[in-house]
Amino acid sequence: MDTTRKIQMNVNGTSYSDEIDVRTTLVDFLRVNCGLTGTHVGCEHGVCGACTILWNGNAVRSCIMLAVQADGSEISTVEGLAPGSELHPIQQAFMEEHGLQCGFCTPGFMMSIYEMISRNPDPSDEEIKDVLGGQICRCTGYQTIFKAVRSAIDKMAAANKSAAQG
Amino acid sequence: MSVKIPTSIDQLPNSNPRFIGQEVNRVEDPSLLTGRTQFIDDLVLPGMLHCAILRSPHPHAKIVSIDTSEAEKLEGVLSVATGKDAKELTNPAPTAPEGWGAYCLAADKVRFVGEPVAAIAATSRYIAEDALELIEIEYENLDVIVDAHKAAQDGSPLIFEEHGSNVMMQRVFTWGEVDQAFADADHVVTEKYRWNRLGANPLETYGCISKWDLLENSLTLWASVQSQSHVALGRAVVLGLPSNKVRVISQPHGGSFGGKGGFRGPDIAAILSRKAGGRPVKWIEDRMEYLGGGAGQSWDRHYELSLALTNDGEVTGLRVKLLDDLGATAEAFGTVSAAKPLAAFVGCYAIPVAEYDLTMVVTNKLPGAPYRGMGPPPHNWALEQTMDVAARKLGLDPTEIRRKNFIQPSQFPYIIPSGNEYDSGEYEAALDGVLEMSQYKALREEQARARQEGRYLGIGVVNTIEPGVFDWNAYAIVGVQGTGVPEGVTIAIDIMGKITCKLGFSLEGQGQYTVVTQVLADYFNVEMADIEIVYQDTLSAPPHFGPGGSRLGVAITGASLGAAEMLVDKLCTVAAVLMQTERENIEFMDGFCRIKGMPDAKMHFAEVAGAILARSDLLPPGMDPSPQATFAWTAAGRTQADDQGRAKSYLTAANACHVVLVEVDIETGHTEILKYFIVDDCGTRLNPSNVEGMTQGGVAQGVGAALLEEYVYDEGGQLLTSTFMDYLMPSVYEVPMTEKKALVTPSPFTPLGAKGAGEGSMHTTPAAIMCAINDALSPLGIKAHEVPAAPNRIWSLIQQARAGESR
Repeated sequence: MDTTRKIQMNVNGTSYSDEIDVRTTLVDFLRVNCGLTGTHVGCEHGVCGACTILWNGNAVRSCIMLAVQADGSEISTVEGLAPGSELHPIQQAFMEEHGLQCGFCTPGFMMSIYEMISRNPDPSDEEIKDVLGGQICRCTGYQTIFKAVRSAIDKMAAANKSAAQG
Repeated sequence: MSVKIPTSIDQLPNSNPRFIGQEVNRVEDPSLLTGRTQFIDDLVLPGMLHCAILRSPHPHAKIVSIDTSEAEKLEGVLSVATGKDAKELTNPAPTAPEGWGAYCLAADKVRFVGEPVAAIAATSRYIAEDALELIEIEYENLDVIVDAHKAAQDGSPLIFEEHGSNVMMQRVFTWGEVDQAFADADHVVTEKYRWNRLGANPLETYGCISKWDLLENSLTLWASVQSQSHVALGRAVVLGLPSNKVRVISQPHGGSFGGKGGFRGPDIAAILSRKAGGRPVKWIEDRMEYLGGGAGQSWDRHYELSLALTNDGEVTGLRVKLLDDLGATAEAFGTVSAAKPLAAFVGCYAIPVAEYDLTMVVTNKLPGAPYRGMGPPPHNWALEQTMDVAARKLGLDPTEIRRKNFIQPSQFPYIIPSGNEYDSGEYEAALDGVLEMSQYKALREEQARARQEGRYLGIGVVNTIEPGVFDWNAYAIVGVQGTGVPEGVTIAIDIMGKITCKLGFSLEGQGQYTVVTQVLADYFNVEMADIEIVYQDTLSAPPHFGPGGSRLGVAITGASLGAAEMLVDKLCTVAAVLMQTERENIEFMDGFCRIKGMPDAKMHFAEVAGAILARSDLLPPGMDPSPQATFAWTAAGRTQADDQGRAKSYLTAANACHVVLVEVDIETGHTEILKYFIVDDCGTRLNPSNVEGMTQGGVAQGVGAALLEEYVYDEGGQLLTSTFMDYLMPSVYEVPMTEKKALVTPSPFTPLGAKGAGEGSMHTTPAAIMCAINDALSPLGIKAHEVPAAPNRIWSLIQQARAGESR
């Protein structure tokens, strides 16, 4: 029985295709086949959220999805947040508010937050908590992450406003 | 030369320090935030193989036979290892007392569920895991023992037959006339406590790549290890290699909290590498392996604690009896956790005499590993909770009994009965600060109102000592001969005047590279961007240890300042020649070597360093053309333990006082944290946001300890909490957003007056929450003396109390 299949997906705007074992998880495809190691694996059972990426714009756990399920889709990972030398406002806010310590869970947090702000640029504290509640951080105790999210929302709103006026 | 290290920020050679003591952005962050930091699983080496480990499904069994022949035939499998290889090629772990360690792969029998039995190296992890299923093992089950009390009894099944007992160590340490104090006491309060197993669980599990080259007779180990030099020494002992043939390269790691010490993985991967002709073998622990077989279970303890008291609440004696269940071996420094409480045995209190009756046993559970705090958090809870019980008995407010017993500022440096010395502190000021911040009186009124409405609010007021800057000296008393703990750096200035600092520890999350950068930028009066930190492996770096025992901030500041002082002395010597004056006329200030009393007669350090490198004709005779210096710092004045284990071990004693308000729902047993206040005193704050991050992160782990986290084994020795669905990590819903204030009582003994700061909340939060829960439930006559205080446990206590009432 042939257990391999050729798949293709766009990750952060770049096309990747490869012949893979069908049991390959999406996170392994991103990390090993695409060489995008910014997405991390924390639990491999979908609880901790470290591996969160965007799949066609939706935040998903890439550790419990198979790569073949993402065949033909658009994927965003942390590497796509700031492709150049400038940090994304979410990244900038995490740095300024000390929203990270070891930084291992941080890419997953940022992708979840990115998706939330994309859906709703002005979320309530409860909505923010709802999103952060799906991610585990062992270092920070969440307080500075919460502050970072608020700061990022303000930064992005200000940027949008000045873009609209400009 | 004798190096004098500044003990306060105003002693730095800078008239306007801009970075140290400030909340600067961390130098680590841009790389972490963009996914560029190379964690161990991101590293790929040419020819690298992948390891998977077969683990025992039985808690206690003889290994009758292992057949790996089918696994070996699978395409892609390059090498296979079993306990036979471990016995031939390695030694048991040296991190346990003699005779209580184990081989990295179970040799003749397994002692816990999850113990490694065989391992495969293959071209992919997928294939390696496939091959595990082809290994046939025949076991002969043995009687299982998981209960520590039963394990300690004669006739119990033996985990190590050769010792004839499961008691690894039984000893009573007596400090002063304890019997007399208890005989003379007006009151004696005795309480029992149970602290269940929990553990570090960093978000990144353990991982490594081992390359055992037979031609070179060397091991190279890339790994997410916390204390690389210590790990390197251990590998030399276990693998029988010369110490200068073991190179450990510590990758930045995704948290540790003590729980990154699993040594079996590197040794197993090393055996596989050797058997695969020296190809590098990567092993990445998965989360279920971490939970059930990693360095992630700690503190499985049964306490009985007694206080001797006078009528007015003065504590005149302390007795602590601990039965510590270390699991199946003590290979992961398990015994050290029971010894560390000696560093702060009496907490914040001037209790004159004390006794520690310590029994350590082995059972068929995972060996206990280090975790943030390394042992005192359960001790602190037992002590603080008993202070509350005593206060209730004597009709005192919990704040009053504490106030009566504090060690006073005038008494420092203060030697506690168990031998350690506290450097400085203002315990009453910390208490007063947090009482004011929390409006304690108003909290009590709120509690009284709530009780009238049938709601059960409770307040915890807890203060603890965080011993900081550890030294190994105290741990010989529990059979673990450690190494010294120097921390060294090399500072070099290049021909363009840029500064590099080379050091021997990797990133772990505490912002250590940022602290070094802050210190050096202020010392040389340059921008932080002008300092580059270069990580070095164990064969390259100066003597070093890395994070552990709340030491790194103090130790690297000492190392950086020491090396800077030495380098500047050299620069000044050369500057004197260049400026045609005597060395003693030159001073260093704001980045310049200048002639004393002549502010304009000066040379910038970069200019002097450039001359040293480029102008041999101008150098003083005999001076090497090298503008760099290496200095290793260590805590001075540490002492050997005496026959009762007394030693000056930890250099600093940080202090924190927490006030927490909780509500217990007596219908469900659920506890909610309503308010949380902290005053923390860790001396000079090198980077306040780093400290606050450590404080808040420790609160989160303390919440986990008090309310959520527990490794549950059934009577048959099977782990019931093997995923994050069952082992509950605190989320944003459970962790309170705390209000924090700093109190600064600098250490008189340390670089810049800083104290250890990484573990304080873990020492304090579990006790604070438990004291609050007990305060809430005291009207019902309930004592909740088991952690975690999970809803099922509290609900059962409430039901028992109600049943008692209705009888």
